[in-house]
Amino acid sequence: MELLQGTLDLLILQTVARGSVHGHAIAKSIESRSGDVLQVGHGSLYPALQRLLKHGLIEAEDGLSENNRKARFYRLTARGRARLDKEVSKWHSFAQAIGRVLIPRLEENKWAKGEGK
Amino acid sequence: MWEKRKERLTGEIQTHIEMETQENIEAGMEPEAARQAALRKFGNVPVASDQSRVVWGWLWLEQLGQDMRYTVRSLAKSPGFTSVALLSLMLGIGASVALFSVVYGVVIAPFPYAHVEQICWPATADKNDPMGAIGRHLYTLNELHAMEKSGIFAGVWAMMPESDLLTGNDVGTESVTGVRMSGEGFNDLGVPPLMGRTIQPFDTRANSEPAQVVVLTYKFWKRVFAGDPHVLGRKLNVNHVPYTVIGVMPPRFGWWTPDTFWLPMSMDSTDSRPKYVAIRLRAGVNKRVAEQQLSQFDQEMAAIAPEHFPKGSIHATLDQMTALNSAAQSGLSKSLNLLLAAVGLLLLIACVNVANLQLARMTTRTREIAMRVAIGAGRGRLIRQLLTESVLLSLAGGVLGVLLAIGATRGIVALIPPDFMPNEARIAINGYVLLFTVGISMLTGILFGLAPALRSSRPDLVGVLKEGGSGSGGSLRGQAMRGGLVVTEIALSVILLTGASLAIRNFMQLMTTDLGFQPEKALVVPMNLPPERYKTLEQRNAFSKTLVEKVASLPGVQASAIGLGGFPFGGWNSPFSIEGQPQTHNQIAMSAISSGYLRTMGMTLKRGRDFTPEEIQDGAHVALINETAAKLWKAGQDPTSGHLHLDVLAQNLKPPVLVAPNISPDMAVVGVVGDTRNWGLDAATHPAVYVPYTLIAPPFRVLAVRTYGDPMAILKAVGAQVKQIDDNLPLGRPYTVEEIVGFQTAQPRFAMALLSAFALLGMTLAAIGIYCVISYNVTQKVHEIGVRMALGASREAILRWVLRAALKIAALGLLIGLVGSFAVERVMGSYLFGKVAFDVGSIMGVVAVLSVVALLAAWLPARRAGKLDPVRALREEA
Repeated sequence: MELLQGTLDLLILQTVARGSVHGHAIAKSIESRSGDVLQVGHGSLYPALQRLLKHGLIEAEDGLSENNRKARFYRLTARGRARLDKEVSKWHSFAQAIGRVLIPRLEENKWAKGEGK
Repeated sequence: MWEKRKERLTGEIQTHIEMETQENIEAGMEPEAARQAALRKFGNVPVASDQSRVVWGWLWLEQLGQDMRYTVRSLAKSPGFTSVALLSLMLGIGASVALFSVVYGVVIAPFPYAHVEQICWPATADKNDPMGAIGRHLYTLNELHAMEKSGIFAGVWAMMPESDLLTGNDVGTESVTGVRMSGEGFNDLGVPPLMGRTIQPFDTRANSEPAQVVVLTYKFWKRVFAGDPHVLGRKLNVNHVPYTVIGVMPPRFGWWTPDTFWLPMSMDSTDSRPKYVAIRLRAGVNKRVAEQQLSQFDQEMAAIAPEHFPKGSIHATLDQMTALNSAAQSGLSKSLNLLLAAVGLLLLIACVNVANLQLARMTTRTREIAMRVAIGAGRGRLIRQLLTESVLLSLAGGVLGVLLAIGATRGIVALIPPDFMPNEARIAINGYVLLFTVGISMLTGILFGLAPALRSSRPDLVGVLKEGGSGSGGSLRGQAMRGGLVVTEIALSVILLTGASLAIRNFMQLMTTDLGFQPEKALVVPMNLPPERYKTLEQRNAFSKTLVEKVASLPGVQASAIGLGGFPFGGWNSPFSIEGQPQTHNQIAMSAISSGYLRTMGMTLKRGRDFTPEEIQDGAHVALINETAAKLWKAGQDPTSGHLHLDVLAQNLKPPVLVAPNISPDMAVVGVVGDTRNWGLDAATHPAVYVPYTLIAPPFRVLAVRTYGDPMAILKAVGAQVKQIDDNLPLGRPYTVEEIVGFQTAQPRFAMALLSAFALLGMTLAAIGIYCVISYNVTQKVHEIGVRMALGASREAILRWVLRAALKIAALGLLIGLVGSFAVERVMGSYLFGKVAFDVGSIMGVVAVLSVVALLAAWLPARRAGKLDPVRALREEA
């Protein structure tokens, strides 16, 4: 499933919230945590990381990966945490709203197929 | 700093891919396949990298640098294209900016005065005689004061040029024309002086002597005072009176004199001599309303002094100074307009050339562009790069064009005949035109350079790549467009060339005109006898007689004569009648001459006899006429036994013109002389009459000398003779007769020289352009030629096929151009002197030259193609 526009930033923020991680790990984490439903174009990860860096939502430092490779590790800043909380609550209310619109429709479908009553 | 960021990012992406590869290997993939899968998963690495860096905003600058490097490389790789494009831009921009700057400086805005559009000359005309002369009206000082008081105008001032004698200055004794100005004049003109002050109302108070102060022109200050920065307060002796220098005007200020000075005008109310008057309209007052008010004013004044005004009802008009710009009215502006049209064509050719080149070049790059798109170049990025190329090329051309314009403007100004520019005209590169031409040629280059990039958005990459660049699909439209542009270019150059050939033929006609006199080795020296010292007719005649005899006896002198009119042009225009015929409206040009006139001017006697020395000495009422005048006699009548009535001699001529006491208008014709071009080279011969100079003596006269050698070499000896007779008589500027004739040909020579230069430039540009495009078209067809040859076409057939295609284009262009040329001939007819018509020869020449260019352009690559091995031609895909 392709990512919705603008949700990649949110997913990255959520991923780096749990500690310092490098780019490849972020991509893997998003994929595995979504049960491999969400496919992140790895190439699109880096522009997004740079964007978040520029806005001061995350910070980066050089470090060594689990295989002793040089890698850049990203971590949430205080501003990033605030933004994440805001985005998460926004996302929840958004999802609920979508849900409220879509569920009656499912009900209707049941009626249409003669499954109701 | 962005280099470091770039490195880090590249490293990071590299690490990412390696990690992914490692994971894949651990999952059991072959190393190579693992890496491929990792790359696939990542996507386009450079794009991701670019997109990441664009976040930080520096990327565009980096890309600009990249694009510029690439541009320089790709332009250097095709030096032919680059130099032709640069040459076209340079010539088109340079020539048009230079010429327009001249036109702007001379015709459109030559005056430095404040609110120049409000400055007018009052003129009067008789309402009942609309055909009657409309002339500038002169007012007396009293009338001037009344006009000031009437409040019709915002400003009223008077000026009067007068002949002044300068003595005791560094440059010696000189006769010059200084201008008297009333006190308001300088303030109304609104130009601040370079230093000091201008003449003010308190310098010219009514009924008191004007202040003895003088304001200098810039040129006079430079010449006589050597640009002395402390000139204020120094004295200038004018007519033996010392005047104090109070101001120097800036170079562009040339009100009524380009190179002398202004003195305060005497405001003596008993002075009844009329003065020239200039007025300034009130802001917002309609000129027609002011004219009505002035008519009313004139009628009131006419009631007091009817002799100052035309009889009948008076109708006043106001002629705006800007409309009466002498340069705008003279033939110069006609020449300039003609040249402007020519230079417009040149600019057009240059633009077409650039467009053509860009189109041709970009079509060959279709494959390159498709390749770039295929490996991930975005449309915007691609357009940006092509734009950089076009802009850079155009900018370079623009810079070259500006450099050329600066040089060319100087060249044109040097070519402009003297006395054809208003005093005030200063010519400088015109910024607006510069912007316009640079803009328009850049736009052309950019538009046509971008066309393929815009087209490349069509998703036909595969097709283009497969076709291998010589594709017929995409370039069919391009070919038609290029064909159209070549047709345009040929047509434009035909028009330019035929126009130039007309101007050249016209000039040749003018140069080979039979003058009727011999301009070589002849010198004229004007002089002005001061009327206060030469009070009587006898004094003046005695001076002339002694001088002409002394000069005639100088070694190296063939002949000499003195008089006025017909040296070699002009004369008093007089109504006349022939004995036994009714008076007509025709006028005759009267000249006063001494004996030796015919020999000095190199004229021939056709019938009858010349004046005898006694007739000249005694002021006999005898006359010579020219052949044109002789034709006015009825057939069969002999003019040399006829009589002529010259109205000008019947007028009550007043001092300073003196006439013989026994003067009568009735003249006995004794001889007929050959016609001369007495009214200018381009005008028909006027009927002319020559009478003894002893009959009529204005202070001004001209000494003419015919020499054996260089006429100017005799000048010093002539001056010494004058000094012997009168120690204090200043001589006017001497001219050779060749110089005087040269003034007449200067302007057509100017037009011809420039027009030919433009035409030559245009043709060169067109030739290069045509060559480039046709040969390019043929080169594009190498593949097709290979196919045809492989199918059995002979070399001759190929050559014929290629040449036919080129000829078709050339013929169409020539046809359109010739049709256009006839229109041009119509228009130019009114700009040229005398009659000109196309001659078949020059048209054939133009057609031949352009055809040869077109054929050569087709033939050279076609021959190359014909020699090709078909197999190789087929292989040659790109």
